[in-house]
Amino acid sequence: MTLLDIAIPSAPGRITWNREAIGFVVGFLLLALLPLVFGDSYSRHVLIMIFIYAVVASNWDLSLGYGGVFNFGHLALFGIGVYVYSLLAKMAGIDPWIALFASGVIATLAAVLVTIPILRLKGIYIILVTFGFAQLVMQVIISQSDLTGGTQGLVRVPGLYLFDHNMIRDGKLAYFYIALALLVASTLFLRLFVRSRAGASIVALRDNEEYAISRGVSLVRQRMVTLAASAFFTGIAGAFYAAYQRNASIDVFGMSLATIILSMVLLGGTSTIYGAIIASFVLTVFSEAMADFGAWRPMITALLIIVIMLVYPTGLVGMIRAAWTLVAERIKRRA
Amino acid sequence: MSVFSDIFFGGLFQGSLYAMMAVGLALVWTTIGVFNFSHGVFMMLGAYFAWQLVAFGLPVVIAFPLAVIVMAGAGWILQASVVRPLIGRPNIVLVVVITTLAAGSLIENGALTVWGPRSKQLPSLIEGNTTIAGVGVSLHQIAIIVITPLILAALWSFLNRTRLGLALRAVAQNEDASQLVGLNVTALYGLAFAIAASLAGLAGIFMGGYRFMNPSMGADPLLKALIVVVFGGISSISGPIFAAYLIGFFEAASNYYFGLYWTPALLFLVLIATLMVRPEGIFASRSRGLA
Repeated sequence: MTLLDIAIPSAPGRITWNREAIGFVVGFLLLALLPLVFGDSYSRHVLIMIFIYAVVASNWDLSLGYGGVFNFGHLALFGIGVYVYSLLAKMAGIDPWIALFASGVIATLAAVLVTIPILRLKGIYIILVTFGFAQLVMQVIISQSDLTGGTQGLVRVPGLYLFDHNMIRDGKLAYFYIALALLVASTLFLRLFVRSRAGASIVALRDNEEYAISRGVSLVRQRMVTLAASAFFTGIAGAFYAAYQRNASIDVFGMSLATIILSMVLLGGTSTIYGAIIASFVLTVFSEAMADFGAWRPMITALLIIVIMLVYPTGLVGMIRAAWTLVAERIKRRA
Repeated sequence: MSVFSDIFFGGLFQGSLYAMMAVGLALVWTTIGVFNFSHGVFMMLGAYFAWQLVAFGLPVVIAFPLAVIVMAGAGWILQASVVRPLIGRPNIVLVVVITTLAAGSLIENGALTVWGPRSKQLPSLIEGNTTIAGVGVSLHQIAIIVITPLILAALWSFLNRTRLGLALRAVAQNEDASQLVGLNVTALYGLAFAIAASLAGLAGIFMGGYRFMNPSMGADPLLKALIVVVFGGISSISGPIFAAYLIGFFEAASNYYFGLYWTPALLFLVLIATLMVRPEGIFASRSRGLA
């Protein structure tokens, strides 16, 4: 038995480590080859946005799906990333890469802070407090308009750099690979986390809190760990978003972005991590494909979300699994 | 003196609107156990229906009640399409959040397509202004301040004095037992949503009479109604009503002393502090099963 086997218990019915690792590498290698197919900067822009959404949505899946903590302030952590990066890189003149990292750290600290009031709470009350936290952050940013630009936001935020590479005239190639690297790092971290003992204990807390506590799982510590773990890459994604868009705006706290990302989490199927990533692809591409429909676009998207939630409560991953079982049974019957 | 009565009237007026919204939210929560995130959109829809009926040439006395009745139907339809099929699922709270959010977005964008983005205004309930205790108020606001408690009292007596209302409360308390004694639980679910939607629609009509309406007008009232409901506790109807007026006064006072920008932040701070001390809300009795 290697150290890895001891540290990470395997469970029956789960995909083995080797299989998942192969799927992971193949999947992301395919993504890395996408710029060969999509040469124009518009498609690459869509892909970059997909990667950012995927990071935010899959990290949300950690607290919402695995942890069962209805954290509706997740987008505030993203927004904190956006503003911390913008303030550090623009106002304080700190190196963009250091600012990027610092945004993740500060988002994590904010997540720890918001965990304190919700330690005693359950279910719907957590939704309301975290929702309140998000509004609080937004109001503070709006009221400090000397620094943050208030409702106007900040413009001319410094972008990222890579040695002497020209980030603007490469058809967004460099930003594409930075975004992809971010998604790879975040997904690797999330999958390792949820397959670890800590991951098992937060699922135990979600499924049977009393029993988990009686078996020695600390609710306070694990809830903090869950939210902090889901915050780091969310904050970095926010910082990257600001660096890529070259501006910071109060819109990141709005309901429309939260609704889109939340539907990615639920549409993909909670407690999968991969589901959220797949759903961000599907929803974003779908939404871009319908650009001609104008006012009908949000309505069709909303209708799609409702239909999928009604027909496949386990989301896209559940849909794929159901299809796979069907195919596998056909093959078995043939043999 | 003028400052005090300014705050008093402002609080009373805002509190009335919040109470109207929050009661519907609490009604749906207690009976079905879900939060209806399209409640704000119902408010908008009620106002637009009323506007449309008035535009057709109907007198206000007919148009407004008719819009409220139509809203009851809209609430029932929403419940039947995006809430009822999900009942019994383990993660219903979360799934209903997303289906009602999506339904809200659908209706809001639909309203935008049908009625356009240009702001509209409804006729006031009563035209004219008056001065009470040194404050100038419109008669429309006075009408709202007077009508709201009457409607809430009617709702209270419906829930406590009629068989149908008692059946609704029975479902809220224990669904299985209600089914066992022969109550039509699905129909009562629909009824809860219908009442909530018509109350929201009425709140929309009230609001459309003194402020310009646009398709996203329901977002802020929904947020406030959520705060009110958490603040007052969701296990009863009276808790949110008291909380609504309390928050109305708080907001009016805070707007005056701390300014418009800091009020929402202060409100949320108070909310978070309340939840840390009394998670079940300040007016709720400590009860189990309110997770």
